[in-house]
Amino acid sequence: MSKSKWSLFVILLIAIGLMVAACDTAAPETIQEIVEREVTVEVEVPVEVEVPVEVEVPVEVEVEREVVVERAIPRTFPPVGAWPDSIVVFEEPSADAAVSRMETGEIDLYAFAVGNVDVYDQVRESANLDYYRSFGSYNELSFNPSGPEFGEGQLNPFSVAAIREAMNYLVDREFIVQELMGGMGAPRWFAFNNASNDYALLADVARALEFEYSYNPELAEEIISAEMEELGATLENGVWTYNGEPVDIIVLIRTEDERREIGDYVASQLEDIGFTTTRDYRTGAEASPIWIQGEPTEGLFHIYTGGWITTAVPRNLAGNFAFFYTDMGLAFPLWQAYENDPAFYDLAARLDESDFTTIEERTQMMTEALELSMQDSVRLWLADRASITPRRVEVEVAADLYGAVSGSWLWPFTIRREGELGGTINIAMPSMLPEPWNPLNGSNWIYDMMLIRSTGEMATLPDPFTGLAWPQRLERAEVLILEGLPVASTHDWVDLDFADEIVVPDDAWVDWDAEEQRFLTAAEVYTETETVNRLSTVYYPEDMFETVMWHDGSPMSIGDFLMAMILQFDRAKEASPYYDASAVPAFNSFMAAFRGVRIVSENPLVIETYSNLYQLDAEQSITTWFPYYAQGQGAWHTLALGLMGEENGDFAFSSAKATEADTEWLGYVTGPSIPVLADNLAEAAADGWVPYANTFSEFVSEDEIAARYENLDVWYERFGHFWIGTGAFYLERAFPIERTVLLQRNPLFPDPSDKWDRFAEAAIAVVDLDGPARVTRGQEATFDIYVTFDDEPYAAEDIADVKFLVFDATGELAFVEEATLVEDGLWQATLTANMTQQLPAGSNRIEAVVVSNLVALPSFDAVSFVTE
Amino acid sequence: MADVPMTSEAVAVPRERGRTTSSTFIRVFRYTAIRLLALVISVVFGVYLTILVANMGGAVDDIRRGQIREGVAMMLSMDPDLRQLSRAERDVLAAEYIAIAEARFGLDQPFIVRSFRFLQNALTLDLGRAEHLTSDSGSRQVRQIILERLPPTLVLFATANLFLFFFSVTLALFLSRRYGTFLDRMVIAFSPASSAPSWFYGLFLILFFAAMWGVLPYGGMVSAPPPAQTSAYLLDLARHMVLPVSAMVLSGIFASTYSWRTFFLIYSSEDYVEMAKAKGLASRDIERHYILRPTLPTIITSFALMLISMWTGAIILETVFNWPGLGRLFFSAINLYDTPVIVGETVVYAYLLALTVFMLDFVYVLVDPRVKIGGKGGA
Repeated sequence: MSKSKWSLFVILLIAIGLMVAACDTAAPETIQEIVEREVTVEVEVPVEVEVPVEVEVPVEVEVEREVVVERAIPRTFPPVGAWPDSIVVFEEPSADAAVSRMETGEIDLYAFAVGNVDVYDQVRESANLDYYRSFGSYNELSFNPSGPEFGEGQLNPFSVAAIREAMNYLVDREFIVQELMGGMGAPRWFAFNNASNDYALLADVARALEFEYSYNPELAEEIISAEMEELGATLENGVWTYNGEPVDIIVLIRTEDERREIGDYVASQLEDIGFTTTRDYRTGAEASPIWIQGEPTEGLFHIYTGGWITTAVPRNLAGNFAFFYTDMGLAFPLWQAYENDPAFYDLAARLDESDFTTIEERTQMMTEALELSMQDSVRLWLADRASITPRRVEVEVAADLYGAVSGSWLWPFTIRREGELGGTINIAMPSMLPEPWNPLNGSNWIYDMMLIRSTGEMATLPDPFTGLAWPQRLERAEVLILEGLPVASTHDWVDLDFADEIVVPDDAWVDWDAEEQRFLTAAEVYTETETVNRLSTVYYPEDMFETVMWHDGSPMSIGDFLMAMILQFDRAKEASPYYDASAVPAFNSFMAAFRGVRIVSENPLVIETYSNLYQLDAEQSITTWFPYYAQGQGAWHTLALGLMGEENGDFAFSSAKATEADTEWLGYVTGPSIPVLADNLAEAAADGWVPYANTFSEFVSEDEIAARYENLDVWYERFGHFWIGTGAFYLERAFPIERTVLLQRNPLFPDPSDKWDRFAEAAIAVVDLDGPARVTRGQEATFDIYVTFDDEPYAAEDIADVKFLVFDATGELAFVEEATLVEDGLWQATLTANMTQQLPAGSNRIEAVVVSNLVALPSFDAVSFVTE
Repeated sequence: MADVPMTSEAVAVPRERGRTTSSTFIRVFRYTAIRLLALVISVVFGVYLTILVANMGGAVDDIRRGQIREGVAMMLSMDPDLRQLSRAERDVLAAEYIAIAEARFGLDQPFIVRSFRFLQNALTLDLGRAEHLTSDSGSRQVRQIILERLPPTLVLFATANLFLFFFSVTLALFLSRRYGTFLDRMVIAFSPASSAPSWFYGLFLILFFAAMWGVLPYGGMVSAPPPAQTSAYLLDLARHMVLPVSAMVLSGIFASTYSWRTFFLIYSSEDYVEMAKAKGLASRDIERHYILRPTLPTIITSFALMLISMWTGAIILETVFNWPGLGRLFFSAINLYDTPVIVGETVVYAYLLALTVFMLDFVYVLVDPRVKIGGKGGA
């Protein structure tokens, strides 16, 4: 062979070698044969299910009664479990590319809250595509309230509340939303999200204030000029000066999103009324040392274009006044510089501490606080940012009003292709698998959490449109609240009652002895009778331990609940072999309110929890102890393997502990933890080892221990990972380098497929207000309020409130009244003769505010009419 | 070429054998020692400079402190249970979270102390733990993070660069012998096309081949789900490589060919080449022995530097094609101020570069008899 041929051969060899090297870590293993193994477990009631041809069966478990548990269930009617057979999830960082790929059918759903207007337009114009609209982040202006002079003697106009308040008039929120955000948002004036229970509750008050603080630059200039002169500043040649120097406003502008344009806009508005500005453009990382860490007195900024996030429909925002406006919020320099009107401060404190006895009293306090917060305006709320989650028209899924699809808890139960049972759905997301998965302290990356949620479930799941909890595994619950506390219930699965005193029983577990590995009872810990604000009792179904199976075929047991209880305490105890310093803060906050837990009945499982923590909704005041942890569901036997590895120093559940110990961060799906977990499994199975044996052995039998490890071994042999849950899908495989995850329908999932279908679409009311264009003063006038959804009348029972507001010709709020129900979908606003008589001649405006029970997003419509 | 220690000593002085061997050994040893020392100093200086730059002279500590506080503020604003805590409890909780996070990032020590520890670790190739990033399989070890991203980068860039290199050199050699032909003029005419970066071509290729015609994938390394069989996986990988490799080749081929062709042209007009032609030697022999041979040091230098340049990947190209390579990793690390990863990538590159430069000195001697280590003009 000639030299040149040899050279060519060597080059080819190198290229092939490199290709093979690239494939080495990524090449998937060939799917092994279906594993059928018999194991004995201590479960009395067996389940037998047939195996369909199209779904491979990973585990076959035989219990004492020789009953076989298969992991697959045939697709019968009515269907059970998830609608599709499988879901392929992969990474597509570009929203533009994702939408193009959706057009061709390559992608069914893009699980990303897209805020790009061009993409939005593209989706709207496509016949093949549709979208879910959601909220989540919101923008504001944070003022530096220090002053009136900074350390170097520069004037800070925003130390004056009246100037901050006047900024409400100087900033056109509609312009920001429509022009700067391309319509992808909604104007916002308050510390309340527009889509929230509290905004809905105070919608009429809010609308009046919004009208009062609408864009009025002339008024803004008038107020600001007066206040500036009061401060000793003078307007020279159109420029505000102080001590001979122009008053320069430093606007700290975030550059990552629309806040760049917003910052420019605000700076321009200030320049228009005589200020000079310095536009300090910075990323979030660069800006944080200045606004949140820096001393406000140093005057490094006057205005910061802030942003916050809400991930779930908020139920109680009463504490937002204290958090965002006062020094009670955070112990950081900016917050500590806040000085408030004493009345507002007191009100904010009382709302923060839930110092009210009825909802009516709270509503009144909130009304006052709203008005005072506008006068304070140390924060100027600008807009709730809206996003879309693109999907193909034939694909349906329950999207959360805030979390969209990626933050939805119901997505795995509801996702389907219209008219199809089975099949595969392709989901793309902008990024995935950046960190290892483990239930206690693993990845909390939003897109990973979406996948993690599909493999697990909680005892209750949040309503995607109202935030209220609905039972998933619970049968019912009772909530007993100390008399006088403002708690109410909405759903009938919760029984709410009140008592003059709620005493923690002596046998309740109140703490954990990490050395002796046992719970401490109230009788041992409390020296006096302990009373609490709230007792919640959860009742699980009688057949739960027979029907709810982990993906590896193991029936759920009380051991899973027990592990959840122990881990609530143990990892924060220094005496524990699993002590993790990073778990201490959360534990301390938990213990601040927790007073005891008691297992009343083991099967059916009934658990009482005593606590001083309560929410205004009884549905949110329930402690379930269901084995769903911060980052996913965890079976006791998989967690046990992790604990064993952590004790041996092989890895740690938390990133903080892993760093401290210079070891790996535990991952149950891929990575260096997997072989260690496999070794631990073999060791634990051989020894019948369980953590916390002292307590565990009272509740978990040796047979169950053996069966659990046996099932997990079979699972690991088949799938090569240890990630199991009881959710509607199981993880078949994750490809971390290729950024792909395969989810398969869990054939053991017991619930009907249509269980959560009622949440497939948010029933946001459409309001159409119709009435006379001219009204004669002193004569009655009636306006029709049509309320529909999907062009169908909105059921009256699903409507919480319909009010109307009348603004007279001077712009003042004249009346706020309740509308009258006529029939489903139709209410009437009646202006009595007396009311019209009070309206001056001119153009008036009537606005209808409709609040639904089904969606925490009020709807509005308004028309003008002339009085003569 | 200017800093390469080559020296042409055409006139050899006859000396005694033993004395010659001894002096050669001393010369090579002295050269090697000095050269190594210079390279070590360069590497130490370069790595420490990287540490300082990556940490912005310690300013990153302030950024981290700010981010930690912002994260705590966000957490407290979002969690309804935490909002139920009293002000004092909330403050304690926030302080605890901040202390834990600051300790995790080592912010409880002055930056200057940590910077020398970073340097020591880097020089001993103890790349340590990433602060934010994890490897694809979930490890925080920088070594593991880099090693996992290396194969995808190598397979893509090796394919493109090796093809680009050998094809352009071959074509340039061919053109240098056909100066002024249509093909030659065409390459010259197209050479400005290389002013556009590869990702620019990538966008167009995606537009045509993926979006409009749908014949090739938009990006990624393999399809989802990845094929189960190795052969199918390789084919799928090759399919996904077509567009990024084409983008790189399109971007580089004309300028590279033009550059080499000009280089070869200079050597083609040397007197000894003309002499060879006059002697009637075959064109192929002239190319090999009279043009390629004296240009080998340059070709090898270029080839070696091209090989180690693969280490860095290409940030934008990998982003455009969603390729899980080192370029994107580096980009993520910069965005997150993940100093250990930045330093880790840099220190490995520094070592590779130093090693390459060092080795090249010896390779020159092997391929060019005119070159002598440690001679005049050398180290």
